Amino acid sequence: MKSSVEVKDPVTEKILDQWMEKPAPFLSVLHAIQDHFGYLPESGLRLVGQRFGIPVSELYGTVTFYHFFSLEPKVLPDIRICENSACCLHDLDAICEEIVDKDLGIPHSGKVEKISCPGRCDVPVPILIGETFFHGAKSGAIEKATPATMPLPPEIGLEECLFKDIRNGVSSLKKAVEAGSWQSPKRAADDPEGFITELKSSGLTGRGGAGFPTGVKWEAVRTEVADQKWIVCNADESEVGCFKDRVLMAHTPHALLEGMTCAGLITGAEVGIIYLRWEYPEILESLQTAIDEATAAGYLGADACGTGKPFQIVIRRGAGAYIYGEETSLLNSLEGKHPFPREKPPFPTTHGLFQQPTVVNNVETFCAVPPIIDRGGDWFSQLGLGDQQGTRIFSVSGDIQRPGNYEVPVGTPLRQLLMEFAGGAFEGREIQGVTMAGVSGGLVGAEDLDVRLDPASLNDLGAMLGAGGIVVHDDTRCMIQAARESMHFLAEESCGKCFPCRIGTTRMTEILDELNSGEPVREGLLQEIEDLEEVLAETSACGLGLAAPYITRMLKKYWPQQIQDKIDGSGQALKEGSE
Amino acid sequence: MSTEMKMVIDGAEVSFQEGETVLEVARRQGSFVPTLCYDERLDPYGSCRLCVVEVEGRRLPASSCTLKAEAGMDIRTGSDHIRKMQSTLVEMVLSENPGDECPRCRDIGTCEVHELAEEFEVSRDRFLGAISNASKDDSNPFLLRDYDRCISCYRCVRICDEVEADHAITMTGRGWNKGIATAFDGGLMDSDCTLCGQCIYTCPTGALADKKMVNQGSKPGEIEITRSVCPYCGTGCSINLHSLDGKMIGVTPVLDGPVNEGALCVKGQFGFDFVNSEDRLTRPLIRKNGELTPVSWNEAFEYTAQKLSSVRDDHGPKAFYAIASGRAPGEGSYMLQKFTRAVMNSNQVDNCSRG
Repeated sequence: MKSSVEVKDPVTEKILDQWMEKPAPFLSVLHAIQDHFGYLPESGLRLVGQRFGIPVSELYGTVTFYHFFSLEPKVLPDIRICENSACCLHDLDAICEEIVDKDLGIPHSGKVEKISCPGRCDVPVPILIGETFFHGAKSGAIEKATPATMPLPPEIGLEECLFKDIRNGVSSLKKAVEAGSWQSPKRAADDPEGFITELKSSGLTGRGGAGFPTGVKWEAVRTEVADQKWIVCNADESEVGCFKDRVLMAHTPHALLEGMTCAGLITGAEVGIIYLRWEYPEILESLQTAIDEATAAGYLGADACGTGKPFQIVIRRGAGAYIYGEETSLLNSLEGKHPFPREKPPFPTTHGLFQQPTVVNNVETFCAVPPIIDRGGDWFSQLGLGDQQGTRIFSVSGDIQRPGNYEVPVGTPLRQLLMEFAGGAFEGREIQGVTMAGVSGGLVGAEDLDVRLDPASLNDLGAMLGAGGIVVHDDTRCMIQAARESMHFLAEESCGKCFPCRIGTTRMTEILDELNSGEPVREGLLQEIEDLEEVLAETSACGLGLAAPYITRMLKKYWPQQIQDKIDGSGQALKEGSE
Repeated sequence: MSTEMKMVIDGAEVSFQEGETVLEVARRQGSFVPTLCYDERLDPYGSCRLCVVEVEGRRLPASSCTLKAEAGMDIRTGSDHIRKMQSTLVEMVLSENPGDECPRCRDIGTCEVHELAEEFEVSRDRFLGAISNASKDDSNPFLLRDYDRCISCYRCVRICDEVEADHAITMTGRGWNKGIATAFDGGLMDSDCTLCGQCIYTCPTGALADKKMVNQGSKPGEIEITRSVCPYCGTGCSINLHSLDGKMIGVTPVLDGPVNEGALCVKGQFGFDFVNSEDRLTRPLIRKNGELTPVSWNEAFEYTAQKLSSVRDDHGPKAFYAIASGRAPGEGSYMLQKFTRAVMNSNQVDNCSRG
């Protein structure tokens, strides 16, 4: 159909009327249309294109980028099951078989679709029907999932920052205020320079993985002169093996809102947007409740926290894409553009959302700000071990006794986190290796478990700390398979724009599959891996492609024998898996 | 005048102007920097990464097409390391395509991908695996859409958006499962496509091509290319006429044509069938005794002059109306109105472009 043809769709017209005046309404409009029709009909998209000034072909292409927008009418939802690193250690096929016939109280299509990590690695295996999560347990039982598991109490002598009050019911505003919440925005308004000095001295850096100093970022946006500025929280936690932001948002939402409000008052931004991943439907509800409570109490709104300055927070739901860990891709997504990463520079601090100065931080980063201001930058800084500053949260999952989130001092030995805090491997097993940064930070073998959890120490090994997800693999696992699953995830989630990443991650996955096949492998396979690594690590356009070689380089470093055995065709059959 | 700025490229000091990219400066001073996603008519895109260069002080190579030149920059374009990575990238790109003969190279001229393969002396024998998108069966009369050969540089999408502003096609999906489609994946004829053909001449592979030009059974070297000017209208677009054994088989735009800079419209690009038509008039005819009879030009002029004079003399100037063809140049149109006014004494003159 040519664009000039007139389209009538009163439902979409009404949705557009409701949303168009609100901040960054694009994703909300599409979700509202999909919620109504069950999919995105052509008539609706044509109207959306007209109102947003986006050519309909471009809009169509953008919609096809997302996992969770559908262009086909669906009567019943499919069954979606996680296929990534921690979950594929379980017998997914058996779980799928069981769930298809089971009455779970929600009608479904019976069709099983494998999806990328929905951030529930601590209670595998998550199964999503419509917007309700279940988990397929070890016993074969399938139960409705809880929103987020509370972190275990800290080891004696370990001081927490982010989790300090989390076990005290602070998801309600009343409890949060009793525990001291919502004090810091006043300080941000009264003494912004002092506030930034505290942030800088705390050593807080971006916890999404890139590690940029938070105080420096906020100061950069503060000094920009612009009609409008934005605060954006990246709550699209999509790295395999990471589920810390979900727990923070579920149990201490006011820390996030308060941190964002501080950023707004410091920089002069009047709107904060939480870009929440679609796979966190319960968080959508609880977070909205927290926003409503904070707004009713005057912490948010025209006179935020009595400072005389306005600040509001809205939630925009994603639609499934790991690439939004890359902040410029996330900003494009909010604007309704094709969600490829942008060329940098310019950076979001000067050209962010709608080309206006923007602070983009991760959930953990914003949540850390109020306690830092409350107790001082020096206090947070000295929580780190040795030269390191502060604490970080690690999401631990896989073959481990006590999977979950742990807030530990930066610089804590990996061995201590795994063996003491998380209980070590299962009875009779030993840890063979772990994935880092979720999976994109490569692998660390058992011989290096004494490595300290700080960015520099991991870099020295050739791996990356990143977003703090750790998936444990014990000695029953094939590490080539583990590497293959990580690479497969990156290939699935590659945006496809730059050639090294699009072709390279797919070729790497194919090569690892070939190694695993048990068939004779092609000649020159190791050289192919090496050449792909080089191109990926040095010419990729964003962090996703740049990180991919960590996986194979670490595989070769720690498990050369497993690779050689496969090439020789003498690979030992693995011990039976843990399930 | 802005002050002249200088940078170093491959050891030589070169001047540049503000706003230029490192790629532009490097190519101007003669360095070989390969590209596949680059077209000088489009905004820099930075996706193929072939144009990476080493920048003194930077840990990683940078894509030179997106890197703005800065005073004092020290750039190396062709170290062994850079060349090796470029060579690997070309091999990776080749692996995306099927291994059979590229019809574009065979019938129209070597495509950019295969030019680079020759330059780097590599062929399609490493990194083999799945190949690119499925090709699309499209019933439009002119544009071949063989996406098996697509390398996803999106030059077609970008030229359609940035230069033509037609927005007929878009990039779809993500990662390996990417593609090119119209809105809702219909055929080009049902889309906003004007069949201008810009996409096929920016395409660096055989994915997009002139349907009429491929598969003519030609062998390399037989096609003759003659630069000319499009006869369709007075704009004067520069074109290349492709002919095989003395017969015209196609038209391609000329990038350095001063008027069109590589652009053509659907008529100029694809509407040349009349050249080889059996119905085409090749000499003047006069109907004599009900039969169209070939005559000399002189006889035809005399006959026409006599008939026009009698119209004017017998029926007055108002019986005459002249309409100039949009295909005529300005000079031709001028002559026609002059003739109408001065010879036929009529003011009734117009041009078909107003219709």
